Amino acid sequence: MNENLLGFLEKLYDNSSEAIFFFNQEGKTLYMNEAAKSIMAADVYEQLLAGREGAICRICRGFTSEEEQRTCVACYMSDPAMEVSSFQVYFETEGRGMIPYSASIETIDEERGIRVFMLRDLTEQQRTQEELHQKLMLKRVIKAQEDERKRISRELHDSVAQEMLSSLVDLRVLKYMNLDEEAMKKLRQTEGSLMRLLDDIRHLSVELRPATLDDLGLEAAFRTHFKSIEKNYGIAVHFHPELESKRYDSEIETVVYRVCQEAVFNAVKYAGVDEIIVRLHEADGSLHLRVADDGVGFDVEDGTPIGTGLGHYGMRERADLVEGKLAIRSEPGKGTVVELAVPVEREDGR
Amino acid sequence: MEDRITFNFQREIERLRSLCGADYVALATVQPAERRFELKWTHVAGNLTDRHRRIKLQSGKGVAGLVFKTGKALFVADAEMELGKENLYQYPITVAEKLVSFGAIPLYKYNRVGGVLLIGSRKKDGLTEEHFREFRDHVGTEFGPFYSKEMVKE
Repeated sequence: MNENLLGFLEKLYDNSSEAIFFFNQEGKTLYMNEAAKSIMAADVYEQLLAGREGAICRICRGFTSEEEQRTCVACYMSDPAMEVSSFQVYFETEGRGMIPYSASIETIDEERGIRVFMLRDLTEQQRTQEELHQKLMLKRVIKAQEDERKRISRELHDSVAQEMLSSLVDLRVLKYMNLDEEAMKKLRQTEGSLMRLLDDIRHLSVELRPATLDDLGLEAAFRTHFKSIEKNYGIAVHFHPELESKRYDSEIETVVYRVCQEAVFNAVKYAGVDEIIVRLHEADGSLHLRVADDGVGFDVEDGTPIGTGLGHYGMRERADLVEGKLAIRSEPGKGTVVELAVPVEREDGR
Repeated sequence: MEDRITFNFQREIERLRSLCGADYVALATVQPAERRFELKWTHVAGNLTDRHRRIKLQSGKGVAGLVFKTGKALFVADAEMELGKENLYQYPITVAEKLVSFGAIPLYKYNRVGGVLLIGSRKKDGLTEEHFREFRDHVGTEFGPFYSKEMVKE
């Protein structure tokens, strides 16, 4: 072996952030590097070097098997024949608490049974992975919820409402059958009740998920929604769409619709205003939504939410799904502005 | 508005308001079929804003919608306490007019609720159950084309 490689190996051993241990046939620690030393308490280090049995177990918190997150069953350390190139193990480190490591254990000297055990910190990677996983799950949950809402909404609209409508038509036929005044009066009342019921079902369907969002796009869906806000809560929503009925990816439209719905609803509930301004426009390759009121406002920094606190969280999560940016600006007494910017590909602008 | 010729709703609710010394009295009526039977506050007295004009309620929604649906009188002594601060927005007329205590009764026409009469105060306990009973006595059994069912002795 040439001089240089030895030097490099030595440097690797000394300077690597990976913890490197050398064990002999009996499982006693022969050497360990600085990185290994740094993760354990001084007394454990002493014990390990002294070759005390089970010293490593004092800081080891088990490895991940198919059955368990952390286990000692069939520990790789105890079986000298075991050759595992990669597994996950947890160590109780000095000062940093329990940390997940990617570990490998290999025999590097058959004759003397020398094995090397290496640990690579996985904290960062695991966090990234968890975040990715969570995002993915959330995306699926939101999609499942939207799909389910869409299904029920369609069912109500296409099936239940249709049936009801045909009953209503049947009922109207009765009007031409020479009924006496008393029966006619009753008939008109029943007709009224049925019509009201039909309206209720349609409202329910729109509330779940407006079919107009899929069929006609954001502008039409917003118009209907704001009209119902005005009717139900006596609050006027001034809507300024500047999109010329342009359509976007269904996922983007859904996010923009839901975020706007939430922002407007928050204003209805908490702002104490009777006017809300909503602007929708496209600029710099992004779709911009702006919901503004000049109501009571709130302290953005204050962590304690007025409502469930899920509203803002939900808006952010939804915005995240389409790489959108959400900004909430507010101050007590100075109103609230919610802005969402979602990048939209130019070439996809159907 | 054609009812105005035979019965002046506006004058009636203003009379009721001064008789009861209430902050606010309003009448919601069911709109005809072509207006999809929405409930609208058609006549108000003592209003702070004109927000009531925007409100068009579905059955079961808001104060009027609730009374319309159940056909029963509704009395709330302390809106924030009884309805919950979180849910107040679902009763837009109370928010718009800052009503704290209020009561509402159904008005019948052909055995159906055709209107809802609301009386409210902007003070806590400004309208007590006793006041509400007096109000109902003032309304009596007949109110224009409507009648107040619970007053009718079987």
